[in-house]
Formats: sequence, C-alpha cells, structure tokens
Amino acid sequence: MSNLILKFSLPFILLFILLVLFCRALFFSHPHELPSALIGENIPTFQLPDLMQDHGFFTQDQLRGHVSLLNVWATWCSACYLEHDMLTTISTAYHIPIFGIVYKDNKTTVHAWLKKHGNPYVMIGDDANGDAAIDLGVYGTPETFVINPDGKIIYRQIGAINEEVWNNILLPLIKKYRVET
Amino acid sequence: MKFILIIFILIYSHCTHPLNLDTYRFPSSNDAERFKSLIKEIRCVVCQYQTIDESNAPLAVDLRTKVYQLIIAKKSNETIKNYLTQRYGDFILLQPRFNFATALLWCLPFLGILMIFFLPIILTKSSI
Repeated sequence: MSNLILKFSLPFILLFILLVLFCRALFFSHPHELPSALIGENIPTFQLPDLMQDHGFFTQDQLRGHVSLLNVWATWCSACYLEHDMLTTISTAYHIPIFGIVYKDNKTTVHAWLKKHGNPYVMIGDDANGDAAIDLGVYGTPETFVINPDGKIIYRQIGAINEEVWNNILLPLIKKYRVET
Repeated sequence: MKFILIIFILIYSHCTHPLNLDTYRFPSSNDAERFKSLIKEIRCVVCQYQTIDESNAPLAVDLRTKVYQLIIAKKSNETIKNYLTQRYGDFILLQPRFNFATALLWCLPFLGILMIFFLPIILTKSSI
C-alpha cells in the first residue's frame, strides 16, 4: 500500500523539487554577478600610462607588497561617482592603498573630475582602449579587485562599494591579510 | 500601405544587421569564416543573452576586435576560447564545456529520455 502511494506521489515530488529549483533560479539568482575566473590567480600583467606623471607607467608590480584595492572606473559612470566618497573614506580612515584604472576615458576630463571630487588613488593607469580591462575580465564599471601582498586577486566586487559591502565583505578580507603580514 | 511596409522593412533591416563585417579585413576567406562562426559562440557578458555578433554594447565591440586580432595573429579557435574563458570564465561560451560543474547539465537530458522508456516498464511490472 505504502509502495503504491510512493509510486503515485513520485512524479509530484519530482515536480516539486523542479519548481523549487526554478523559483530559486528565477527570483534569487544574480545573473549579473558573474564569478571572476581570476580569483586566486596572479593579476594579469599590464602597463598603462600613469595619469599623474607624464612619462611614468602603472604596472602590476606596483600592486605587490601590500594588500590593496584595484578600482576600475570612469568619469562617465554614475555608479563610480556614488562610490567615490566611500573610496575616500577607505583611503583616509583605513589607510588602504587604492589603485585606479580609468576605463575608456579622456585624460583631461579625469583630471578635472579628480580636482572637483578629490583623489583617493595612489596611482591611476589610463586604459584608453580597454585592453587591461579585458585582461582583468571586467565587463562594467565600477569593479574593484582586492589584491593580496603576493599580487594575487582574492576578491572581485562588482558594482559600487557602499558601507555595507565595505564593512561586511571587503574589510574582513583585508583585515585577515593585515594580521598575517 | 506600401509606404508603411517599406518603412517597416527599412527599420527592421537596420535592426537585424548591426554588425558590418566590412570593418574587419582578413587575409583569407577561411579566417573570415572562422571569425564569423566564433563570434556567434561567444556571449556578450553585458547583455547576457546575446552573442557578441548580435550585440552592439561597447564591450561586445571590444571583444569582437579582440577576437579579430587573435585570428590575425594566427591563433587557433581553441586558443581564442581559452583566452576568453581565462578572463571571463566558462560563462562567456554560449555552449558550456563539459566539466565537473556542467556534467549534470549535459547528462540530465539523456537520463530523462532513458527515464521515459524505463520508468513505465518498472512501474507497471512491479504493480502486477
């Protein structure tokens, strides 16, 4: 008897499991937060013109020796403006070096923007054609990478950094490396 | 009526052909074919359900140019796909590769077909 009940209810149980899976995919997934293929890997090599110095270059070597943030941004990106205050706080109050890569932007616009809003960056590389961004697997600004002292990518934040992201995700990660070193 | 029809045709012909292949010049027709088929296999990660062939998002344009450069540099299709997956993950390929994470995805349809044939047999046999 119980065998028969099981047999008849089996299709319904399977259907139920499927529906739960579908609901999860439909309502609770974040299709735009793609996992980075580069977590745990060395930062790809790049050599970008330094925006602050006329003949200098910003390369991956400058990201070694300390835990740091690598922020890919642009002046034409409104979400980048939203996270700007948070970046300023991170650099002044927490003393975490923030490196910037300006994505497909104009040099003079960037200088004017930084003058107006303040400059939290230690160094900014000018990625005018977006090649370095492709090497980093960036698909939209802003994106921020947490780089450990060995020059490995340990986390990628997609979208603006707000207080919540900083306190709950990035700061605990960075603290871990500060204690270790 | 004819006029409206012509307007519609003009609008839609514009919409459905965003990519002008003439902007990319290839040394051989083989390379051109390779380019055409490759960009149909690569997902635009910004507008996720389009290929970089269909999409005109700035990143899709950049990725097309990247694929073009790699083809000109005589890289094989496999090398180009590896280049992209190293940076953007398996998600960038519209046809997922067979690996540990996608094994269930690839096998489930076959299991399903097997079930269609065997489940009725199992169910009817044991109930008699």
